[in-house]
Amino acid sequence: MALLTPYSKVPELNTATVLLVENEEELQSKLANALVQYEKDFNVNVRLARKLPLPVENKETRPRIDLIVFLVNLLSERSLQSVESSLAHLHSDCFLGKVCFLVTDARCGSHTQERLVSVRKLAAAHQCPVLCAEHRTVDGVNAAAVRLLNILKVSAGMSPIATTALYLSSLTRCSVTSDLEED
Amino acid sequence: MEQDIQCSRSSEGKAVLLERCEEQFELLQKLQNEIILADTEAYDDQSNEAVNRLIAITSELERWHEMEPKLLTNSPEVLLAVGKEELQRLNSQLKMVLSCSQAKLDAQKKILKREQTWQAEKKEALNAVCEKITRLQRENQKSEHSILQDMKRKINNLKDYHGSLMEMLSDMLAEHFPLPDPQGNSTKKKRAAAYDAEIDLISLSEIIERLTNKTLETPHDPYVTTDDTFWPPYTEMLLRNGIATRCPEDCNKIRLEMFF
Repeated sequence: MALLTPYSKVPELNTATVLLVENEEELQSKLANALVQYEKDFNVNVRLARKLPLPVENKETRPRIDLIVFLVNLLSERSLQSVESSLAHLHSDCFLGKVCFLVTDARCGSHTQERLVSVRKLAAAHQCPVLCAEHRTVDGVNAAAVRLLNILKVSAGMSPIATTALYLSSLTRCSVTSDLEED
Repeated sequence: MEQDIQCSRSSEGKAVLLERCEEQFELLQKLQNEIILADTEAYDDQSNEAVNRLIAITSELERWHEMEPKLLTNSPEVLLAVGKEELQRLNSQLKMVLSCSQAKLDAQKKILKREQTWQAEKKEALNAVCEKITRLQRENQKSEHSILQDMKRKINNLKDYHGSLMEMLSDMLAEHFPLPDPQGNSTKKKRAAAYDAEIDLISLSEIIERLTNKTLETPHDPYVTTDDTFWPPYTEMLLRNGIATRCPEDCNKIRLEMFF
């Protein structure tokens, strides 16, 4: 099975690679541009995909991926479903700090609340952080990019010595308590 | 001259750093090869994510225990530059943390104040309710064993009132409705008056008393026979004012009018 493994390649010098997985492909390009523009200290390599598994042809040329971000649009049901099916193609070592969930449109209605709860449960099961972003304005996209860059720095190992990806994910992982369901 | 020395020093520092980078990269390559070998051998068990996590965290912990902090290089200007940069970054981050925590503190203070006022209101309500409860309990207890005393008191009050009313009535009647004077006028009516004086006339209060007693004691037969002891003007007055009525069968019988 072609699983996406975290450590199977040598990392490149002064580069961090992030993979944005989104079913709808609306936020991906905007976020990619913002990510590349913001970071000046090191190179940010952004790869886009609709879902996993990634096509086998690029496997050799693809660099090591430091962070996998699943973009979920809470207004459509298929977004969440494609994310759930993609998760099956990840090696379980990836969940130790290299996976992050980014949800958009979290405030637009009652269906989104239910889907947000299910996304949070999913993230809590895998112990990954959940970020909420607002993708319709430039400021929202920039803010989301800055937050992603912080997490990317840690997962790529570029932050000061004591912070590892695993440690950060333990700090920022999503937790679902029973009273979340009453919200 | 000094600038040359500085340039040479900085290029020395750079060379040292590059050497360290090369060493680390070789180490990285070695480790990576080991990982690839281990990956191809091991089987990925996806169902034990929590166990995976636990293993990873414990092994990381062991590594941190073993690791000792050591300087990057021994050259001072490299250390100085790195140190300066680090400290500036730390400074800006700590400023952010400070402002963030102050904002949180202010928010918490507001919440605390709000909760305190809420608590004070609820306490007041509780006090009022407790007072009312004790008052009601006391009243309940009182009614159980002092109800008799209340009744006695009320009866006594009513008796006193009744007595005073009776007294006033008799005083008024004695003053305004006296018995006709037998030694009244020295006119021709003297004989009639003397004739009247032979018979003992009873006073108005006596008439009323007889009427009320007859009504209260024998309600089935409230009629009082008017005889000569009843002075006729008084009986007429009682009849005309509606205090007494004549018996329909017998014109000599009167009774007290029902006025309740």
